[in-house]
Amino acid sequence: MQSKTVNNVRVGRFELLMDAGFGAQKAGDILIRAFARMGKYVFIEPTIPAEISPPVRTRAALSGVIIRVAEFDLENIGNNTDVILASHEIVLDRRLDDEEHNPSCRVLLDMGDKALPMSDYDRVMKRVKDSGLSIYPFEIVPEAQAIIKSLAGKARNMYYLGMLGCIYSAPEEFVINEIKLTFGTKLREDVFKKNIDLFHYGYQYAEDNVPFAYEVKNASGKNGHEKILIDGNSALGMGVVDAGIRLVSGYPITPASSILHTLAKVFPSFGGILHQAEDEISAIGTAIGAYYGGVPALTCTSGPGLSLKQEFIGYAAAAEIPVIIIDVQRSGPSTGMPTKTEQSDLLSVIFGSHGDNAKIVLGVYDIIDCFYAPQLARYLAEKLRLPVFIMSDFQTANSYKVLDKPRIFEMKDSNDIDEFILDHFGLQRLPEHIEMVRTEQAVPGTPGKMRRVTGLNTDQTGKVNYFSMASQRSHAVRNEKVHRVQRALKKPELFGGREEGDVLIVGWGSAKGAVEEAVSYCQNQGLAVGGMCLRFVNPLPLMLTEIFSKFKKVVTVELAYGDPCKRPPLAMLLRDHALVDVQPLISRVTGRPVTPRSIETKVKELFYAGVA
Amino acid sequence: MPELPEKTQTIAAPLTIKDLNTENPRWCIGCGDFGVLMGFKRFLVEGQILPHQTVNVSGIGCSGRVPFYVNTYGVHAIHGRPITIAMGLALARPDLKLFIHAGDGDALSIGGNHLIHGIHKNFNCVFILYDNQLYALTKSQSSPTTRKGHPTNTQPQGTALDPIAPTRFALGIGASFVASTADWLPDHFVSTLKAACAHKGFSFVHVLQRCPHFDPENFDNKTSAWFSFLTHEKGVPADKRLAGKTGIVSHDPSNHEEAFRLASSQRTYFGLFYRNPGKLCYDELIRTRIKEAKPLPRSGILDSYKI
Repeated sequence: MQSKTVNNVRVGRFELLMDAGFGAQKAGDILIRAFARMGKYVFIEPTIPAEISPPVRTRAALSGVIIRVAEFDLENIGNNTDVILASHEIVLDRRLDDEEHNPSCRVLLDMGDKALPMSDYDRVMKRVKDSGLSIYPFEIVPEAQAIIKSLAGKARNMYYLGMLGCIYSAPEEFVINEIKLTFGTKLREDVFKKNIDLFHYGYQYAEDNVPFAYEVKNASGKNGHEKILIDGNSALGMGVVDAGIRLVSGYPITPASSILHTLAKVFPSFGGILHQAEDEISAIGTAIGAYYGGVPALTCTSGPGLSLKQEFIGYAAAAEIPVIIIDVQRSGPSTGMPTKTEQSDLLSVIFGSHGDNAKIVLGVYDIIDCFYAPQLARYLAEKLRLPVFIMSDFQTANSYKVLDKPRIFEMKDSNDIDEFILDHFGLQRLPEHIEMVRTEQAVPGTPGKMRRVTGLNTDQTGKVNYFSMASQRSHAVRNEKVHRVQRALKKPELFGGREEGDVLIVGWGSAKGAVEEAVSYCQNQGLAVGGMCLRFVNPLPLMLTEIFSKFKKVVTVELAYGDPCKRPPLAMLLRDHALVDVQPLISRVTGRPVTPRSIETKVKELFYAGVA
Repeated sequence: MPELPEKTQTIAAPLTIKDLNTENPRWCIGCGDFGVLMGFKRFLVEGQILPHQTVNVSGIGCSGRVPFYVNTYGVHAIHGRPITIAMGLALARPDLKLFIHAGDGDALSIGGNHLIHGIHKNFNCVFILYDNQLYALTKSQSSPTTRKGHPTNTQPQGTALDPIAPTRFALGIGASFVASTADWLPDHFVSTLKAACAHKGFSFVHVLQRCPHFDPENFDNKTSAWFSFLTHEKGVPADKRLAGKTGIVSHDPSNHEEAFRLASSQRTYFGLFYRNPGKLCYDELIRTRIKEAKPLPRSGILDSYKI
């Protein structure tokens, strides 16, 4: 082999692409744990097919991991890929369609079984070269092939893990240690040894034959904080425990189910009830029933389930029973793309259910928000006796990252909310007394305060009342609860501190990482670009009009459909709220997360076109 | 469970019907719901069941209004879903006495799925099915129990299909307690509720309910030859006022096969069809699992994610 080029970088991104069921995510998981232990920051996004075992060697079988690794804290999966390792030409061909690779991306392609027609490999390799990328075909060494054969074709992920570990300069012993921690007790000793051998063969192969490597710097100046590695849905699940929520009721749905899975293992140890309901409607009904009984409860779902829950959401608002709903958004409409990300439930969450709507809707920025959001949701739900939504999405739910261990509060009741949580979400503490439609809100079991709740309109005493003024009052009281939150919202952070300029980019929820990074690229190039990302989308902060007035143009970044004749949800809401001509900058529904570079490119187009 | 004031063991005065009254019901004159409501209050008084520890949950329909007319805690929910609300209360608050009030449309049509799973989960509650054989509050549409040929506003030529038999349905799903009674049999109604309340699990009580406004002929409360009472030492006694005027069948409520045969017959039977005190209760099982789980401090929730 000619001499190896080692690229010293602050941040890198690579992918492992395989058929579903062959352990790409497991390999990725092991590698990022090793990186994390070495002192790097990582962010990992799995690519998962919607089916369990799609036929191998088909485009639908693509299953893989995208890994971003850096010396600094990462808030998103980043831009383009530097290195792709594909187990065969079909998954590679499929993934190239997404156009998320660097112009100088290096592609390692397993040439696999020579019995297969070479013409397919040739076509895809030509595609790689025609796109200007470099292709590095390889074959698994015969000794390793023999081991894979003895394991019925499994465990090739360990070989690839070895190759990637070597290319990304992870010392062998670090990775082997993680393999031990992952498989140590689960595999028979001989099978475990074969896995280690495969890893070693892969590592050695890359050492001897791959002419490039990357050295990502370790985080300098460790802050001494304990670190955890966690995904968005697990963070939500643990946040639910910390918030003192005692009943979680759900129905299986991708990508929310893993919240149930995570809790099912540990919730009983914290006295929590994990309930699998017969359907989505029942799931929210049971949460509402528990909360009426004074026990904090939550339901989690995704788009199709959200549609089914809508009647009960309106009921909870009318009957003044608190309830918390987690919506892990996926690509819609209808069944859509269950394992792809989108932010297009925004309008159906804010305006869903029938009649007038009063509710609080909170989008999470990232994994740390997932952990803290349940506490804020509980505080608001109990204080206002309204439905409170936590909006996550497929991307946030399934991404992993290394982060400083968050603070644990062991929340006792809604008044016990810590200033830290309120600060984190930019909310001032609400007033002690908030008017309810019904004066009496006693919990069953309280002597002498028996009361009936209903979805029918009532007066202050809780008696059914169809008179005109009683209905007007109920609406006003419910909406005033939302307005109180609006008045308590602090000014959202403007990225880079820029308060005025040519373009303001606005996103909500998980767009935060990409928007913030894009804004920093732009500001570093001297462009007068500001940016902000909303957590509260209902109500919206009062001061948006003033913030918007200091920029020539306000644009949105959102993963929801828009075209020149149809404004995407966030742009629609902001226009209405601020009376500013907000236009979408990015309103895509490709199912892929938005990248900082794509935002930067679009902003520059605005400048070239003289629009900004 | 929320913190509540200490249980008042010594009640100053025993519970009376008057304590349970709220407002005058907004039902039609002659509605069978009056009979059920009165019987239900009598049952609470006779059992001295504390109103503040009682929750009535209902759906939508004429019977959905029952919670408003009994001075206990209550949830008037949305159409077809009272079982889901009650499930939450049963899991979260096992200390409360739970009664679900649902009509035939609520329970067997829009809420059919929940009824299947309420019965299957066998959580502890008394489920009262108010069966007037049509939708009344929405002004006479066919329901799953409307008798074949009966004209309604949605099927003026006569209801097309054979009705669902609620007791047979409940037995078929595996209910642990199945009984049937009628709004005009107050003693029998109260005895049935007592047996239902004493049973641990999902107690399914089918109540024939008159609807003179939309179907004056649905049930003939003037004669008694068209039904028989099921009686047994382990069952519910026949209504005192009618004993001797109608057939009495001795039926052992532990005999599932016979219960199913009776529920499938063309003849109407009132009484306890089936009771299985041994059926697992989902709510109890969940609580046992929590009790048996190794308690962990919340301060350690992130320990397994540390690296």
